Amino acid sequence: MSVVWQQKTHGVLKRQEKMQRLLARLLLGVVIITTVLAGIYLTVVASNVHTARRLWEMENQMAAVMRDNQGLMAEIARLSSIPVLQERSVALGYQPAKSIDYLYLGEP
Amino acid sequence: MLHGPDARLRLITVLLIAALLPILGQLVRLQVLEHSQYQNEAETLVSRQYSLPEAPWGVIMDRNGDLLVGNVPVYNVGAEINLITDTMMAASVLAPLLNRPEEELLATLTLTQSAQTLQWRPLTNRVPAETAQKLRELGWSWITLSPTWERYYAEGAMACHTLGFVNASGMGYGVQAFQLRFLRGDRVQRVGPVSGDTSPLPDELLNDNLTPYPGTDLRLTIDRTIQAFVEGVLDQAIVDYKAAGGTIIVMNPRTGEILAVASRPNYEPHRYPEYMEKGQESIFRDPAVSIPYEPGSVFKVITVAAAYDSGRADMNWTYNDLEKLEYGGASIRNSDGAAYGQQGLQGILDYSLNVGAATLSTQVLGADLFYKYVRAFGFGQTTGIELTGEAAGIVHLPTDWDWNDSHLATNSFGQGIAVTPLQMAVAISAVANDGVMMEPRIVLERQYADGRIVPIPARELGRPISAETAHVVAEMMAHSVEKIAKAAQVPGYRVAGKSGTAQIPTSGGYDPQQVIVSYAGFGPVPNPQVVVLVNLERPDVPAHMRWGMHIAAPVFQKVISRVLILMGVPPSDVRAAQ
Repeated sequence: MSVVWQQKTHGVLKRQEKMQRLLARLLLGVVIITTVLAGIYLTVVASNVHTARRLWEMENQMAAVMRDNQGLMAEIARLSSIPVLQERSVALGYQPAKSIDYLYLGEP
Repeated sequence: MLHGPDARLRLITVLLIAALLPILGQLVRLQVLEHSQYQNEAETLVSRQYSLPEAPWGVIMDRNGDLLVGNVPVYNVGAEINLITDTMMAASVLAPLLNRPEEELLATLTLTQSAQTLQWRPLTNRVPAETAQKLRELGWSWITLSPTWERYYAEGAMACHTLGFVNASGMGYGVQAFQLRFLRGDRVQRVGPVSGDTSPLPDELLNDNLTPYPGTDLRLTIDRTIQAFVEGVLDQAIVDYKAAGGTIIVMNPRTGEILAVASRPNYEPHRYPEYMEKGQESIFRDPAVSIPYEPGSVFKVITVAAAYDSGRADMNWTYNDLEKLEYGGASIRNSDGAAYGQQGLQGILDYSLNVGAATLSTQVLGADLFYKYVRAFGFGQTTGIELTGEAAGIVHLPTDWDWNDSHLATNSFGQGIAVTPLQMAVAISAVANDGVMMEPRIVLERQYADGRIVPIPARELGRPISAETAHVVAEMMAHSVEKIAKAAQVPGYRVAGKSGTAQIPTSGGYDPQQVIVSYAGFGPVPNPQVVVLVNLERPDVPAHMRWGMHIAAPVFQKVISRVLILMGVPPSDVRAAQ
């Protein structure tokens, strides 16, 4: 009887096959889990990068809006400054009151 | 040699392991043994200083919310010169836009042979947004635009001393320098890993809050309309009387709020570098708070108030006004050199009698009591206003090394004592406010970027005199206006006031020609709503006109008559009817 025949008859090869299948499944499981974890990690990192990029863009947008806002405030202030208002009111025919009469309204 | 598949398989395994071993070895060397060295190198490669756009400084508004100081966006322009393809063309296009000579720009943009690596050079600073837009439209990626801010003064030079400015190193004048820690916007500048366009990498952005925080806005007590009117009156007075300078202060005696404060000479705050280049830094000092002067006869109000409040002199008190009074080696005479005979407290104010004031300080009050009141009125001390460079003035006390007995006599009519216009206005406001002296205020409230509003409460500086004394002195001052100072009278309103004419001290005496004329008063009486102080320096008019009564009183009248209307204070008869 050859050794192989003996192994077959005593179930040794069967046990080895079973063990190998188990190892293969384990390895496959590890690969799948690793792949899933790596996928999740990459997704999180990608999302992180995307969010950070958006954040950076929004920071810059906010700064740009702030600049526009301040610029407009300055422009409004220029248009409503005393010399401009004086010029405009003179053009509209306004002038300082020559006499002011006060009327006392008693409590009702 | 190699028989069977198992043997060949073993050989392949051995070869593979042998091939993998050097790789593993290198991995261990790079990742374990030399890990820190390579990490440092990597960090050096990607770490750069980066900055987020600078947040704007807080704006400054008047009491009604009108903008006085704002911000406009400007840009610093630079170039990565090793990326330029046509330097000649670039220089010719940029020269008119950046307002720089073409040859100079060409030299800046030209890459030197010794430096072939990335080179950035600044081209110009603070170009307006319109120019920045034109530069963007050129589409040249090598041009860098860094946004920053420039202060914008909406009313030009108006209230320049109050608003002031701050230079790049944080030094300056006015309320901006005083409130710098609130006004200044946040600037985020850090060193960390950056991407190719020098924006921070994700971890840097997500691990920290980098949003710059804008500065705090200030709402001032200044009323823009009153301020503009007062500045116009001051300019006109300086032209009319050919004065070298002047100050007008308008304040609310009830709260200490400064409604307007104007001084000449003035300046345009945004052009401060030009003044500095010309060596004109002295123009930045605010005469209202930083430059003491001898107040002259306006100070008699303090002397009379002290005498009455101490109980040493009442309305029946009299003295014999002779031609002169000798005291401490000084010979005190009235301004016209005349003797006025029997006079009381009212006469001292009506005729501005130096002899009478000196009699009160030397014979009625004495040094201890007189200077107790002088200190109580705040002279010789800063008022605490939120402006830089406030002077305390000069008050000689009997305990001082440079004390002279004559000081007691001369100080009583405002000579030999130096006060700031603000101190004088604050002291007069105590008379107008039932004896209560309020701390002068320039900031009404702070408005934080997160929406919080923090009002600055009114604070009492002290009560130098009783309410009764204040009413009596106010009545005397109002009587003085009705009887003597017709130029200060306001139709429809009862006002109180006192003029002053002070010689200007020089080394070794007083200038025989030059004077500072002033007028301080308030109205309406009773229940005053506003205190006005007018100072005009070195008016160039005929000698007989060179008096506070002739020059400063009409200016006071012009200011208070309009300010009462602007404040909506009804005339005295309407108030009486109420």
